[in-house]
Amino acid sequence: MQQCSTFGPHIRALREAKAKRDPAFSLRQLSVRCGVTPSYLSRLERDDVAPPGEEVLRRLAGELDQDVDVMLAMGGKISTDLRKAILARPQLFADVIRTLRDMPQEAVLRLVREVRDGDW
Amino acid sequence: MPTLEKNALVFRFPKSAGKAKFSVDFQRTLRIPDSDKDYPLPPGLGRFPLRHVEDYPNLPAQTRQRGGIVLPVWQSEAIWLNFNGGSRSNPPFAIKVAAGKINAVTGEQWSTPLNRNPQDYMVWPEQPWLDGFAIAPGVIRQFVAMPLGEGYSVEEQLTGEAEWGGLQISVTPMRREAWERRQESLWTGLEEVSFCFLETPMASDEMSLGAGGRMQQVIEEDPYDLEDWDMRATQRVFVTLWHASRWKDLTGEAAPNAAPSAQDYARSGLPWYAHYATDQKPLPGSGALDSVRSVADLHKDKTGATLPGSQDVTPGPVVHLAPDRTPEQETPREVKSDDSW
Repeated sequence: MQQCSTFGPHIRALREAKAKRDPAFSLRQLSVRCGVTPSYLSRLERDDVAPPGEEVLRRLAGELDQDVDVMLAMGGKISTDLRKAILARPQLFADVIRTLRDMPQEAVLRLVREVRDGDW
Repeated sequence: MPTLEKNALVFRFPKSAGKAKFSVDFQRTLRIPDSDKDYPLPPGLGRFPLRHVEDYPNLPAQTRQRGGIVLPVWQSEAIWLNFNGGSRSNPPFAIKVAAGKINAVTGEQWSTPLNRNPQDYMVWPEQPWLDGFAIAPGVIRQFVAMPLGEGYSVEEQLTGEAEWGGLQISVTPMRREAWERRQESLWTGLEEVSFCFLETPMASDEMSLGAGGRMQQVIEEDPYDLEDWDMRATQRVFVTLWHASRWKDLTGEAAPNAAPSAQDYARSGLPWYAHYATDQKPLPGSGALDSVRSVADLHKDKTGATLPGSQDVTPGPVVHLAPDRTPEQETPREVKSDDSW
């Protein structure tokens, strides 16, 4: 899967960019904060192991200031709340996603609810 | 028109080069003491929840007519606005902010176009956030929420009326040609957003912004030409502030906890912040805004009591944040804490 094959280098690039300015983003220190071992994080950055579970991905996203949903997607995961939403109405969301998947981004964004302006 | 995403207002310009996007969120924070002391920037303690006004038929009709969004805020709670225009490849934005339709930079009545004499807006990324009313070069008075109609707000003090409350914000991207001329490859558009606090059908529920303690925050001169901004793409949003004690009645959701006091925060040793300004000249601040009486001052007059949390504190470590068009962290002032702040 393409997303998985680029996950490790992506994480490493983000971490190293931060480590240039903040030693708290060394491999060792970041791994501790994310609840994994330094060797695991090292292997993860080299794509030697599959992306971690949702909890670790969430911690990585938080530490590296990344969007959680994007981080989960790069790790081949879907967040628990989205999964629940889909499973609650599987046919509806399957139809919606298939309908939207080939639409240009601008067209999809038009479906997002806008903030209404009024008289003031 | 903007959308609501993860408790931020998001403005997109899909026809613009770089598909520029700008967001504004409202950060919970501690109220700094109101004294002669100029404090560094307090932290962000997380975003206020934002909801569509039109979803709540129980809101006053006038509030619903204004549209926009509503957020819960406690009495005497402070608030700051966090601006984010994305990456360095995006064009800059001009941002205008008012409270109760009083411009927070000039103290003048709200007007939609950008003005230069005096300059009544800020420029992102040079200005990554706004914490209050500009009263002097490099000094602001913190935004502090109080019930509209009780005489505390800047609007009420300057106009004698409690008509609008709230915040107004405009965001204006740069004209495509101007950006291309300056950057050789990028263009900009314009978007204007206006936030207002809730109008006041009942003063106990609708909130407005008064002037809190003094804080060091430079608002810089616009480094671009006024003609560079594209004011045709203006969009507006009215932001209503609703008393947090009535938030559950309105929405069925629990309101966020009240923010910690400056005293509690200072004791915790958590960081305060300062922003390295660029070499642009700071705006002078507004004499009208400087003449406004602070919330604590008025509170003492009205009640004879000192506003709680008014004792000066010694701020903890101050983190200096450099001007950066591409902050890696969306809200570099936000404190990540296990506390329920």
